Amino acid sequence: MATSDLLRHQKINSLMAQPPEKVADAAIDLWGKMAIQIISIVGEGGFNSLYARSVFLTQASFPWLAPADLSSRQDQRFAQLKTSFAGQTPAQAGAANSLLLITFTDILATLIGEPLTTSILRSAWGNDASDSAGKEFTNE
Amino acid sequence: MNRNDNDGGASDVDDLGQPGGISQGKDRLPAGLEKERKRRESAVIDDEAAVLRRENLASTREDAAHVRENAAGLREDAAHLREGAAQAREGEAHVREGAATAREREIRAAEMTQAASDDQMIRLRQVNAHLVTATIEAHKLAEQVETAKVELDHLAHHDVLTDLPNRILLQDRLGQAIELARRQGRQLAVMFMDLDQFKHINDSLGHAVGDQLLQSVAQRLVGCVRHSDTVSRQGGDEFVLLLPYIEHAEDAALSAQKMLAALALPHSIDRHDLHIGVSIGISIYPDDGQDAETLIKNADTAMYHAKENGRNNYKFFEQDMNARAVQRQSIEACLRRALERQEFVLHYQPKINLHSGAIVGVEALIRWQHPQHGLLPPAQFVPIAEDCGLILPIGRWVLREACLQARAWQDAGLQPITVAVNTSAIEFRAKDFLENVRATLADTGLEPRYLELELTESVLMRDAASTDSMLHALAGLGVKLAIDDFGTGYSSLSYLKQFPIDTLKIDQSFVNQITSNPDDATIVSAVIGMGKSLRQSVIAEGVETAEQYAFLLGQQCDEGQGYYFGHPVAAEALATLLQTGISTTFPH
Repeated sequence: MATSDLLRHQKINSLMAQPPEKVADAAIDLWGKMAIQIISIVGEGGFNSLYARSVFLTQASFPWLAPADLSSRQDQRFAQLKTSFAGQTPAQAGAANSLLLITFTDILATLIGEPLTTSILRSAWGNDASDSAGKEFTNE
Repeated sequence: MNRNDNDGGASDVDDLGQPGGISQGKDRLPAGLEKERKRRESAVIDDEAAVLRRENLASTREDAAHVRENAAGLREDAAHLREGAAQAREGEAHVREGAATAREREIRAAEMTQAASDDQMIRLRQVNAHLVTATIEAHKLAEQVETAKVELDHLAHHDVLTDLPNRILLQDRLGQAIELARRQGRQLAVMFMDLDQFKHINDSLGHAVGDQLLQSVAQRLVGCVRHSDTVSRQGGDEFVLLLPYIEHAEDAALSAQKMLAALALPHSIDRHDLHIGVSIGISIYPDDGQDAETLIKNADTAMYHAKENGRNNYKFFEQDMNARAVQRQSIEACLRRALERQEFVLHYQPKINLHSGAIVGVEALIRWQHPQHGLLPPAQFVPIAEDCGLILPIGRWVLREACLQARAWQDAGLQPITVAVNTSAIEFRAKDFLENVRATLADTGLEPRYLELELTESVLMRDAASTDSMLHALAGLGVKLAIDDFGTGYSSLSYLKQFPIDTLKIDQSFVNQITSNPDDATIVSAVIGMGKSLRQSVIAEGVETAEQYAFLLGQQCDEGQGYYFGHPVAAEALATLLQTGISTTFPH
């Protein structure tokens, strides 16, 4: 479990390792893709609960993160998150989003187990990660 | 047909009416007959031809009829065939309809299955959403419960005001430290700290300022110790410090000095720069006690000695200190018995009208007629009574006794005078204080205007709103009100104007110096002037010399009290003074 967690965390960190100008967009892109997969399983309500909880927990480390106020419009779902990132340096925004994703997926893994979580994330983010962490992730 | 019928009739019967006549007359008949015969033969031939033709025609017609019959049969067959074909087509149509119906049923079933599947998916998603939300909520609740448990545990072991460890946690840590020190053969120190004159600040500036001061003190104490040390608040203005790791007793002395220095700096609170000292008592394990309780008790005892030694210092516990602590305990127990056995007495010090020399009132002063130690002044037991709460029943006794005595003097025919009773903060804030005053006056039959309550500035200025309502309630009863020890506390002039105060009693510390210290003289003059401006009576306390009396008289002070006019005396002696007149007791 610990190794698996580590790999999932590494995967998230590697996906967030983006050029500064792309950090915010990459973050929102990851959330969008993951949201589609998770909403298809647990619905909007379930996703919103998970997301709100994750933001709350991440605010302990990044207090500037706006409280979750998810729009029902798919294209606007993470507008507030993006606004939060816009007020920060790319490094801060990247670190915050990594932690937010890790927190989110950690909670998800406690609810549905690591294998299912990994499967969902694979569907959301694909298997074509170029780094070693991603390879390990896909070879789990 | 008719023609044929006619023809037929002619051919069957000849003209003579004889059958076969033609063949017998052939050779012998004349030409005419021959001709007739020929004509008749020709006619027969014609008839035969006609018959033939008719037969042919009949055959033809029969044939035609046959043909028609055949045709009809064919038509019938064809019709049968058509019917068969139609039936076959109908059958086929039925089959195809059945197939179509079956297909439609299948499609409908498939559609229904698909719709059911979609509904099921939606329901599953909804169920999942609820499960996720419920689980998240359950996590949150569990977290809140855990947080509440941690907070409760923290609250159970920490002081709410300062967030320092409380008595329970100190006991625990001290117990563990003693065990460790015992195993390792080491020493540890317990320091009992009590703030000096904190009550004075609390009474005069209010609990809010007092609380902030305690928080400030707590912060400074924590700043003076190591992480391994424990600073705890025991309650009130008492703190206990545990130093679990000391090499020598001198280490504790160094810590004490450090704390005295830290607390020496003023505390800036609510626009006040407050100075507060601390008296520290130190006990050392194992010399001064083997258990937590003994070590704390002995440090407390040492702290009292530090206070008696001039405050704002520290003292190590010594065994003979216990004797004095025991004495204090003994006084407390004796005070309780004294109340029951009515060992308290009141003495009365006259208040003089400076212009006429007449006694206008007395101040009731409590004494303790101790069975072994004789007559004890209030300084020896009132602070202890205040500490242990006995001041309330003692105060009620004083009030009743003073009222009874004043009424008794009046009943004895002596001139009516005002009797003044000192009222402590604890009594004044007691819920039943007003009711007790009212009931005491009613029970003793003393007119309220002959009772004066003396309150210090610190009592009055704390919580001005409730003070104001209480003072007005007392004034409403007709009771007189005086500010005692005026000039030594913190008075707000606006409250002074607002409160229904009748008299200002100038503190004796100013009066003592009025003839030698121009500043004190100025203060006394100013207070007299202010009192007159506010239409309040002014009385000078502690008048001991003729010079002081003369000064006060010159400043138009109304009244005086002090040894110059008379010491506190028993009720009987005071009655004598009232009878004889005070003017004879001091020179004018």
